[in-house]
Amino acid sequence: MKNIVSFCIDYVLYLWKGGIKYWAWLGFLWIFVLFWAYGNYLQLSEGMIVTGLTDQVSWGLYLANFVFLVGVAAGAVTVVFPAYVYKHQALHDVTVLGEMLAIAAVVMCMLFVLNHMGRPDRLWHMVPIIGIYNFPGSMLGWDVIVLIGYLLLNVVGGFYYLYKKYTGEPLNNNIYLPIIYVAIVWALSIHTVTAFLISTMPARPMWHVGMMPIRFITTAFAAGPALIIIVFSIIRNNTKLWIKDEAINLLSQIVVWCLGIALFLTLSEVVTEFYHPTEHSLGLQYLMFGHNGLTKLVPWFWASMIGMVGAFVLLLIPWVRKDYHLLPWVCGVAFIAIWIEKGMGLMIPGSIPTPIGEYVEYSPSWVEIFNSLGNWAIGFIVLTILLKGAIGILLGEVSLSNHSKQASDTAADDVKKVRYADA
Amino acid sequence: MPDTREPLNVFAERAEYWGLPVMTAAVAMLLAILSGQAQAQAREICFESRENASAVVVTEVEEGLPNVKCSEKTGGVLWWGDPYDGTVPMGDMPIEADYSQGEAVVMPRDSQLNLPPACGTACHNGTFPPPNNDNTPRQLTIHMDMVPDALNLQHGRGSIWCLDCHNPEVRNKFIDHAGDEIDFNQPQKLCGACHGPLYKDWRAGIHGKRIGEWASTGKKRWFVCTECHNPHDVQQGERNSGFAQLVPEAPPQLPRGMKNADHERPPH
Amino acid sequence: MANSTIPLRNITSTGGTDTTSMTRRSFVKNTSGVSAASLLGTAALMTNSDEAQANTEWAEWFQGNYRLMSDDEKQEAVVRLERRYSSEYGKKVSVDTKPAEEGVLFGYALNIQKCIGCRRCAKACVEENNQSRGDQEIEWIRVLKMEKGGFDETKMGEGYPDGYGIEIGGNAYSAAGVVGEGEHYYDPKLVPEEDFFYMPIACMQCEKPPCVKVCPVRTTYREPDGIVVVDYNWCIGCRMCIGACPYWARRFNWGEPKLAKEDMNPETHYLGNRPRMKGVVEKCTFCLQRTRNGRYPACVEVCPVGARKFGNLLDPESEVRRVLANKRVFRMKADLNTYPKFFYYID
Repeated sequence: MKNIVSFCIDYVLYLWKGGIKYWAWLGFLWIFVLFWAYGNYLQLSEGMIVTGLTDQVSWGLYLANFVFLVGVAAGAVTVVFPAYVYKHQALHDVTVLGEMLAIAAVVMCMLFVLNHMGRPDRLWHMVPIIGIYNFPGSMLGWDVIVLIGYLLLNVVGGFYYLYKKYTGEPLNNNIYLPIIYVAIVWALSIHTVTAFLISTMPARPMWHVGMMPIRFITTAFAAGPALIIIVFSIIRNNTKLWIKDEAINLLSQIVVWCLGIALFLTLSEVVTEFYHPTEHSLGLQYLMFGHNGLTKLVPWFWASMIGMVGAFVLLLIPWVRKDYHLLPWVCGVAFIAIWIEKGMGLMIPGSIPTPIGEYVEYSPSWVEIFNSLGNWAIGFIVLTILLKGAIGILLGEVSLSNHSKQASDTAADDVKKVRYADA
Repeated sequence: MPDTREPLNVFAERAEYWGLPVMTAAVAMLLAILSGQAQAQAREICFESRENASAVVVTEVEEGLPNVKCSEKTGGVLWWGDPYDGTVPMGDMPIEADYSQGEAVVMPRDSQLNLPPACGTACHNGTFPPPNNDNTPRQLTIHMDMVPDALNLQHGRGSIWCLDCHNPEVRNKFIDHAGDEIDFNQPQKLCGACHGPLYKDWRAGIHGKRIGEWASTGKKRWFVCTECHNPHDVQQGERNSGFAQLVPEAPPQLPRGMKNADHERPPH
Repeated sequence: MANSTIPLRNITSTGGTDTTSMTRRSFVKNTSGVSAASLLGTAALMTNSDEAQANTEWAEWFQGNYRLMSDDEKQEAVVRLERRYSSEYGKKVSVDTKPAEEGVLFGYALNIQKCIGCRRCAKACVEENNQSRGDQEIEWIRVLKMEKGGFDETKMGEGYPDGYGIEIGGNAYSAAGVVGEGEHYYDPKLVPEEDFFYMPIACMQCEKPPCVKVCPVRTTYREPDGIVVVDYNWCIGCRMCIGACPYWARRFNWGEPKLAKEDMNPETHYLGNRPRMKGVVEKCTFCLQRTRNGRYPACVEVCPVGARKFGNLLDPESEVRRVLANKRVFRMKADLNTYPKFFYYID
């Protein structure tokens, strides 16, 4: 127990030690949080009327981000899976970073869901016993379970690993490995269930397709590791932690193949819908070409296609994958392209036209955009904090043996700060 | 055998007796008063199903409860507070209705005739002009507001004329094929003679309109034929399915972010 | 209680079961103690409204799901609501809790051949059901204007030739009744227009409602008389049901609903037309507050062409059953297996 307390203290104290870049980055993110706070104040006091959503398009930017981020969270398994199933040593060393990413992504998912809800004050209605939990009938019920479960698995697994590293004790594999293996399957489940959330609605023909889960998973396993490669590159360039080339090499392989499969699935769908277009292809037609002058989504779709194809082609070239300065940028393009494809490209046209054929254009309001940026910022703050501590522990800078020394140092710092403030 | 092309002009025959100019002036004044009232209380009177056929005056049937609410845009009834306001039991009608179940009421039609007093004493009591049973089409000089071209009656494609339905002697009644009277409140008796299948549907409650209670045994106000259809011009070109065109209520609000609905009407 | 407003004052028990003909007045009488209390409460609210209002809202927040409330809890909730609404709208508002009647399954039939597209049903619905007005207007009924379609000789040449000049398809038709080409915002001087027909769409009260299935908190459910209702106080506003409805029949209160005092219909039902709050979903209930007390829905009564028929699907003598027996009917999107209890028919 005493060790756990000192772990927490050391972890938190370590967060305060960072260079200018670290603080500038956090400060930059906090700016968005200020806008986020105001946006949320507006949305909670005025209602969802401050968003660009309508009865016609009632699922918008929030849910688009939610669906995408579920994918990112699931994508963390691309680190865990090779590390523990294929004993990939380079990834094994940094598995915990993937878990930290998963935690941050799930946190963002939850923030987006809260933003999407019309009555977040009534969330308790979903809590069993005091409320009613429509399980197993409601897909949203399943989604809540798998998301919370995934969060817990990653928090427990990740922090158990970090704690053992911190104390220097060996891992108890009887506890740790089951968590890891369950988490691997669970990661698939979160994105599968999220896909079922929309694919089980015959009212929305664009979503009502059996390939939705596998489409979700392939895009997730492209976007997730793409983000991880970016994060790893930043860690390599800015911290003392050196992530081995082999780790990044494997991840870029995963990105390229999943991106390829995702493109293949998109192509299959386009062929199916357009060979003999039915009324069920109206959503896709609107997305790709617009409808009678309503073309807001068209540039998004084609930008996403160019981004995905471009990133795929570039990543197929071996030297691009090995160029660790260029690679993060290509991954960034893939990440954004998939964000568009899943967000603006899948969630929005699912509602256009409406089930009774009304075409309505949707564009998010500023409040929606600020709230979304804020959710991302909070997610990145969480990610930064989690990674900071995790890296400290991996590097051995935070450990039980350093505990007493660190504590006294920081206490002295604090005293100085307080005096300075008084003066 | 009189000339079939001779106008059926009741006023011309005794114009000197009635003093036509006086009469015209009186009618004009009456109309002016009526329309003035209508204007002043634009939202206090609305029509039920057919414009100019049955007007409802908005009254309070109980505290805070109007009998009807009117549409500000179109002047049609938008909401029924009391579906039975002003109705009479159908069973009390001079001709017994022959539907089976439920309590049925109707709105008296003869009060909607809106006859100025002069009409009742002059012609509609049946004494003047002398009844003429000749049903050969000829031009009218009265009731031209209802039938502008009596030689081309817009009902029955030339096979029927006024006196096939209107009783030439008892002028506030219809007449059936056997020459028996039919009350204005029971036009279905007359219409049903030709429009059999529709009459059957109407009696079953699947053609036409009823308001009140939904239960098959419940009390309902039945709308009779002429409350929805104008029998004098069912065939006119702009008419659709025998029902007169109406001003529509306003379209729904455009969704936020949409400036117009032009995309719904692309250039063909 | 003499001054309470009862739309059914002329309805007496002219037949039918006792419950059908039980009027609002007799209902109020049965619970006169409660209503008296609510009147007193109203008086109290007038004097000290802010605090009382806050207490009321606080109590409403802790309220359970309506379906699982005990009778006492329901009565308590109703008194609370009546008090709050009466003070908010400056008139005596009643909140009915009349349950579904046994042996009744509500059904609807609409003669698509008769509909002239005048939208009176949509507006009557708003008058009756206390929807938001003004710049946040909510309408539960949507009327589509559809082109009758046809074949055009001048377009005979515009086919789809393949490489050999052999036509493999043609363009000579203009499609009839394509949903994607329906007009929602048509506004001609007069309706019906030539060469068009009209299709009103609202909640179909499906027997297998997809919206009910997806609700994570079971706030929307099917009542025993077949009406799909929403407990507005339990809805968390996730809008899954809006996504799941194939008929686009559900609406969301994006902001605080705007309902003027003079527009407010004081005869309400807990599951029907009582005023809603922001952030919750609402939908057509076949005018529960009227139909459970014997009356036709507002849209049926106001339709100038009598295109709308309503009644008990379990009664072979009801108008709606006679339509099913005698007319050609279809249900919208029957392929989705939702079993709508809303039938379109033609003569």
